[in-house]
Amino acid sequence: MQRVLAEIEPGVSVQVDNVPGAAGTIGLARFIQSERGNPGALMVTGLVMVSGVLLNGSPVSLAGTTPIARLTGEYEVIVVPASSRFRSLGELIDAFKKDPGSVSWGGGSAGGTDDLLVRLLAEQIGLPASSVNYIAFAGGGAALAAVLGGQLSAAVSGYAEFAGQIAAGQLRVLAISSASRVSGIDAPTLRESGIALDLSNWRAIVAPPGLSDAEEEALTARITKLATSPQWRSTLEQNGWADEFLTGPPLRQFLLAEQARIEDVLRRLSANNSRAPTTLAVTLTPSSLPNAVAMIFLGALALTAFTTTRQSVAFDRQGMRMTVALVTALLVLPIAFVTAGFVASSTMLFAIASTTLRAQSLSVRAIAIDLSVGAAFSIALFLLFTRGLGVMLPGFF
Amino acid sequence: MGDLLAGFAVALTPANLLWGLAGTTLGTAVGVLPGIGPALTVALLLPVTYNLDPTAALIMFAGIYYGAMYGGSTTSILLNTPGESSTIVTAIDGHQMARNGRAGAALATAAIGSFVAGTLATLALSLTAPLMAKLALAFGSAEYFALMVLAFVMVTTMLGESRLKGWLSLLLGLTLGFVGIDGLSGHARFTFGIPYLLDGIDPVIVAIGLFAIGETLWVASRGPAIDEVLPVRGSLMMTAEEWARSWRPWLRGTAIGFPLGALPAGGAELPTLMSYAIEKRLSRRPEEFGHGAIEAVAGPEAANNASAAGTLVPLLTLGLPTSATAAVLLAAFQQFGLQPGPLLFEHESALVWGVIASLYIGNAMLLVLNLPLVGLWVKLLSIPRPWLYGGILVVASLGAFSVHRSAGDLLLMAAIGIVGFLLRAIGAPVAPVMICLILGPAAEQHLRRALSISQGDWTVFVSHPLSATLLAVSALIVGLGILRKPRTGIESNHEVE
Repeated sequence: MQRVLAEIEPGVSVQVDNVPGAAGTIGLARFIQSERGNPGALMVTGLVMVSGVLLNGSPVSLAGTTPIARLTGEYEVIVVPASSRFRSLGELIDAFKKDPGSVSWGGGSAGGTDDLLVRLLAEQIGLPASSVNYIAFAGGGAALAAVLGGQLSAAVSGYAEFAGQIAAGQLRVLAISSASRVSGIDAPTLRESGIALDLSNWRAIVAPPGLSDAEEEALTARITKLATSPQWRSTLEQNGWADEFLTGPPLRQFLLAEQARIEDVLRRLSANNSRAPTTLAVTLTPSSLPNAVAMIFLGALALTAFTTTRQSVAFDRQGMRMTVALVTALLVLPIAFVTAGFVASSTMLFAIASTTLRAQSLSVRAIAIDLSVGAAFSIALFLLFTRGLGVMLPGFF
Repeated sequence: MGDLLAGFAVALTPANLLWGLAGTTLGTAVGVLPGIGPALTVALLLPVTYNLDPTAALIMFAGIYYGAMYGGSTTSILLNTPGESSTIVTAIDGHQMARNGRAGAALATAAIGSFVAGTLATLALSLTAPLMAKLALAFGSAEYFALMVLAFVMVTTMLGESRLKGWLSLLLGLTLGFVGIDGLSGHARFTFGIPYLLDGIDPVIVAIGLFAIGETLWVASRGPAIDEVLPVRGSLMMTAEEWARSWRPWLRGTAIGFPLGALPAGGAELPTLMSYAIEKRLSRRPEEFGHGAIEAVAGPEAANNASAAGTLVPLLTLGLPTSATAAVLLAAFQQFGLQPGPLLFEHESALVWGVIASLYIGNAMLLVLNLPLVGLWVKLLSIPRPWLYGGILVVASLGAFSVHRSAGDLLLMAAIGIVGFLLRAIGAPVAPVMICLILGPAAEQHLRRALSISQGDWTVFVSHPLSATLLAVSALIVGLGILRKPRTGIESNHEVE
């Protein structure tokens, strides 16, 4: 998007800052807190963040932002291997209704769009959301091998994830989650199969809270200009995204509705999960294995500590002093990095390490040489990274 | 074969040739320099290659892996401090040869042996990988889980001084791997309410902490050391007798290195030890071993290069890293949104074959870099040790910071570095931490996925013949301790691989 923005509004510098973490909720919290009232900051959000907020118990939500525009959507498809006994969605649903556990669904991460679609589908046909035997993979692409290998009954993900295998005839599309048929994709909608459900993996632009009406209008106008430009059209086409442009009050209503239905299904899901072991009879909870491993680790650690202290490792005394000096320098480094900048902190680190490792009596001359070599090295690295590789580093000196 | 030719078309574009050259040069440099290895180098480069074309970046990374196998021998021969864990064995007789004024011949047999083994093993990789990928399509979650259990067992049994310490590293890696949001259920684990931990512990930070910081602290703790770099003496041209004594060990080294690299046994350490042991047994002059026998350089050097190619087979076809470097390479693939596994050859044919083709080209480049140009690399060894480690610390902190531009990562790096130092101090292997950090969560997901698909029926692991076999082998290794690290009396505290 920043590419299109730069093309239609030359002279405006767009800086993209990817904040990783927890389905975007860490970025969301940072965005709401530190960008309040700043019309120059925008964030791209989407369906995944709505469920991410709920799943992570994040204290902030999209309601804390100023929605500007919904831009794109991607539809989900339900696929089975070409050799599957399920010829149509109806047959799959019948088997699912008869024995929910026997149908294994695969797709992207838990609580993501793929997961939500199957849960919503289950509720539509009168099954509890928790009865779904959903198997999460790193993404639709990762689920592909499992569905092609016949280990999953069906896989669910964005159309683009499976497009190659669908075209090659290795996968059969049973349904698409759009409201009406999509040209170029030979698949019935869920509604055609009698399930009143559609789901789009939408993406929207939001601004920070605390904007004036005039600022909000100006932003909306700019994004509208972007969304109607020919460059944006071709971007949509290249990526196979559907145009779902929406602004103003209808957008707010849409966001509230999405939040409500996702919240509902997730709440019923967690209520069911915590009550009793589900019908799936999955004997491992998410924390049983980690806890067991951690306990054994602590046991092994204790055992090692016991056997090793008896052997008493012989250390060079001077060596120990050098190690302690280095450790201290490393522990101070994070603070120095942020406050004093990269070049200064790295020069110090270099000089401390060199002087310590040389292990001779301190001489002003040697320290001066270490400092200048360290400074030259750090400045060279700083220039290489900031100018050459485009990595931002804190501060100059 | 058509795929491989198409791969050459990719690898021979000027840009990719340049990336290959950059990778092999950098790889040789880090191989030569003690204290930094290929795992660390690739980890440091990950953040800055984010915007690069994936094929170019992976060609460079593969070049680094191969290059380090070449470069390490130079240090072992001239300095007696192995540049890499994979060249510890080379140091024994290689350094003696250098003392006897035959450094040239030692460097030559190492470089030519590396070339022969690297090329043959890459050929074996080109032939076996597509077959393996086809087989791997039939792998379900139960099979993957069993395979990973076998990997855990072998890695911990093969590396380190004692079984207990191997297990300690394994469990540490597993525990660290569990930190963060569980991919299957969305539950947060071991995060202690700290949002920073929700995304888990980044393998790149762990690699930097364990290998760069841990190694530097370890070097410091042993006090000041004086190294003597021997000059390159003796002709780089081998005599007829030296050729005659080298070619068989090269081929045997390849035959040992490739399959052992492909097995989950932790990389190049074991194959080089085995090659040394076998050459000693087969030699007509076993008394020369330890005093500068050329076979003892030729065999292990071939074995370590062949094992690098072998490691790529399970990495590319199953997504299974068997050495620390492979674990970081897996993280590199994932950074570009690529999932190594059976479908990689189908989806990313041009990329995979481009990388494989670049390995043939890289081997030829490396022969030139390491033989006629060996004098340049020797100069690297004259960098004063304090400056070298000072530089390593600076580059490491820069690399750790650029992953997420977070100062918290620097603190984590320091903490992991201290752990890495303590592990070295008690003689526990470091590589399993890295391998298990990456494999652990994957194994758990496969376990739970297999159980979900079978609806909670644990017998899936024994009713599938392949997973039953793999689990039985793992149980035998643990129960009977069949596999032991061959005893050669070689002390190794270097785990930089």
